[in-house]
Amino acid sequence: MKELLKISHVTKYYGGRAVVTKALDGVSLSVEQREFTAVMGPSGSGKSTLLNVVSTIDQVSSGEIWVEGENISRMKENALAAFRRDRLGFIFQDYNLLDTLTVEENILLPLNLRRESFQSSQEKLHRMTRAFGLSDELKKFPAELSGGQKQRAACARAIITDPALILADEPTGALDSGNARGLMQTLDMMNQKLGSTILMVTHDPVAASYAGRVLFLKDGKIWCEILRGERSRQELHREILAATVALGGDADVR
Amino acid sequence: MLGKLALRNVRRQVGNYLIYFMTVSLTVALLFAVSNVIFSENLMRYLETNEAAKGTLVGAVVLISLIVAFVLSYATSFMLKLRKREFGTYLTLGMTRREILGIFLAEHALIGLLALIAGLAAGLLIYQGLTALIMRLLELRFALAAYAPAGLALTVGLVAGIFLLASLTSAIYLKRIRIYELLHGEVYPRTVRHPVLWFLVTAGSLALILGGLSYMGMEAERVVTSRLSQAEFGWIALGIAVSVILFHVGLSRSVIHLLLKQKRLCSRGSNIFVLRALSGTLGSNSLMLGCLAFLLAAAVTGANISFVQKVSQEAELDRNFPYDILYRENPNFPSGITLQQGEKVIQRYGQIAHRCLYELYTSNESTFYERTPWRSYTGLTDSFMKLSDFNGLIVPLGYEQVELAEEYLVVSNVPEAGLSSWDGLVFRHGGRSYTMREARGDYPVFCYQYFYVVVPDEVTEDMEREAGFGVYDLREGPLDVLALKKDLSYLEPDGYRDREDAVELCDYSLREYGRQEQNSTSAILVVAALFTAAVFLFLAMAVLALKILSGLEEDRRRYRSLFRLGAGEREQSRALFLQTFGFFLFPIVMPLLLGIPVAWIGQRIVKAARMEALAGQIPVIAGVIALVMALVYLLYYVAAFWVARRTVVRG
Repeated sequence: MKELLKISHVTKYYGGRAVVTKALDGVSLSVEQREFTAVMGPSGSGKSTLLNVVSTIDQVSSGEIWVEGENISRMKENALAAFRRDRLGFIFQDYNLLDTLTVEENILLPLNLRRESFQSSQEKLHRMTRAFGLSDELKKFPAELSGGQKQRAACARAIITDPALILADEPTGALDSGNARGLMQTLDMMNQKLGSTILMVTHDPVAASYAGRVLFLKDGKIWCEILRGERSRQELHREILAATVALGGDADVR
Repeated sequence: MLGKLALRNVRRQVGNYLIYFMTVSLTVALLFAVSNVIFSENLMRYLETNEAAKGTLVGAVVLISLIVAFVLSYATSFMLKLRKREFGTYLTLGMTRREILGIFLAEHALIGLLALIAGLAAGLLIYQGLTALIMRLLELRFALAAYAPAGLALTVGLVAGIFLLASLTSAIYLKRIRIYELLHGEVYPRTVRHPVLWFLVTAGSLALILGGLSYMGMEAERVVTSRLSQAEFGWIALGIAVSVILFHVGLSRSVIHLLLKQKRLCSRGSNIFVLRALSGTLGSNSLMLGCLAFLLAAAVTGANISFVQKVSQEAELDRNFPYDILYRENPNFPSGITLQQGEKVIQRYGQIAHRCLYELYTSNESTFYERTPWRSYTGLTDSFMKLSDFNGLIVPLGYEQVELAEEYLVVSNVPEAGLSSWDGLVFRHGGRSYTMREARGDYPVFCYQYFYVVVPDEVTEDMEREAGFGVYDLREGPLDVLALKKDLSYLEPDGYRDREDAVELCDYSLREYGRQEQNSTSAILVVAALFTAAVFLFLAMAVLALKILSGLEEDRRRYRSLFRLGAGEREQSRALFLQTFGFFLFPIVMPLLLGIPVAWIGQRIVKAARMEALAGQIPVIAGVIALVMALVYLLYYVAAFWVARRTVVRG
């Protein structure tokens, strides 16, 4: 399969003068198209930093990041905004839905920002609401939705622009187990049926077990990698738990 | 412990409190300045006889105090909302609402005290500036004005009262708000109910405003002739004021909602984001915006009226006092100062450059009065002036000489004369008939009749003499007009009509005295109107800026989401501009536009008052006022936007 994301010797420092923290220490990895990759690791291991530099919300200190053959670590600000708008989809722990907008308006906003035609936007909206079961929630505001519904709306918004890469930052972090399972099934569906490429950072071994590949970070470096291959989700789950224990982590078993 | 926390908070929140501090300081300064003016002994002594000017000043202070109290309480509640997340955290840590209120009020007492000191210091300067302006308008020599302890007491008392009011508002807010709302911001959706109904309210209010203004414009003549009663005038003005408020309340609750129905408009760029943000802020602040719009409309109208009054003053002076001195013989008081005695007095003060003596005659009939609104008055008889006397008066003033052939000319300086109908009236006298040449209202005042008839000289030959008059022009030079007025006055010891006390009378009208008298009224009116307009404008801008700044925390969260969705710096700036400018602009558009009908009414009024020459100046005045206000407003907005942009937009 074609390589979609390539991270090459990326280092990221925080702080200055007196105290400097090395959040990423020469990380290199590659993600292929239609791949579902989970990144795990203890707190402070650099998971969120990795996601932030890939999403262009933060800049690397050294190294390069390539998306679909384009070096995003050297892009100018306006080009980065367009890159985020056109090529990336975001799913956050806090949903990142705008509380002033209805579900429909939230989902359509990325298309509006792309100046997509009204007709085309409406067609995509109908497709998304059917796929994510949000037809009855379109006119509601986020405050009127459950956590699971909010996260489904966030997923629909993340995918409506047909992005090259979907970045999920602890997407199940604010959900109960039932809603978390529902969300992971949704992400699985997005990956399997809609062909989305997903890079997900999570603490949750159950959530990670939906991925095809799990990367473990420790002290800013890739510590190990588990590939699902032909194994079942339960088998992968067990292996993730074992790796977490070996890492000295604090994974909870649901 | 709480005191320490409050002190630390003030130090930490200096940035947030800066605009609030400046608002309070400047308000204190303005209050202090104006209360010193009303307690200024010198000024009040000068205005002793001018009840209207005194009333205007006191009224302006009361009005400004009320508005300031309201706006500052509102500003305080904004500051409370700005920090609600912090207070929510205190509550979750086990602090009581009473303790939080204590911290907040301690901080505000500290800020208030500092603002009071700063405001009083600035007020000292503003007061001197204000006095200098009034003195200049009154044409008095400038001297440093003394400060009145009563002014200081009033200012401190008002600020203390405002602080108590603000405390009460904050206490109510803190008592009612839920911890969840404090921590997570206001809970959306804030849907507007009955937008169509509110749109109808908007349309109805607009119709009432336009109707009221049109009525006032169309009835300009009745305004001038005082036939539009004060009560009627007051009701119309009140109706317009209420309609201005309702218009803005209705518009803020309907227009965005209706725009939100335009799917194609909403689907462009960040339009939906902007419209929803505007819908929230406009909808939840509709009453406040209505009140601000009313204040701004009052500022625009007041400034227009005061300037028009000022420019019309000169024209009015030329009309009412065409010569330096006008003498009218008073047949009721023969003991008065005669023309010969008066001339001697006048010559002590200045050399007479021009003199013209003339008389009015009466036919002892009411032929002309029968055709006027005063026909029901008893004892009024028609007055006549010789054509030669009339020409002797008007020609030196630059008017064209009048020629009458078997004709008469009716002259009046009273607007109600326009309601008379002398058309077709043939005046028969001494076996001859005279037809009407025309009725004129644009000649200056030469006598104090409702009207008089100018006729060929021979007509008055067998008429009874009614009164003698004389006009004088003096050579230029300094003239102590107050002393001259005093020397030309006399006491009527027997009392006048039903009054028993002696009355000082003067049969000489002095142009300079009239000018000074008019000046004192118009100076106070202009200063009061401009000062009030400045306070209203400043407070409206401060409230709007505070409102924008108090919402920055929530805006920052929302714009971060927009940034993550790929909105670049330019798109975010555009959205923030539209969101804040829409809110800031909302209450001032109509007040600025009101300048147009106000100018139109002003034109109609000066035309009705026979001062056509002024009509052209009024739109210029209205335009300049609107431009100045818009510029000041824009500058303030730019400052607020700059702060907001720095806080909210991510690059």
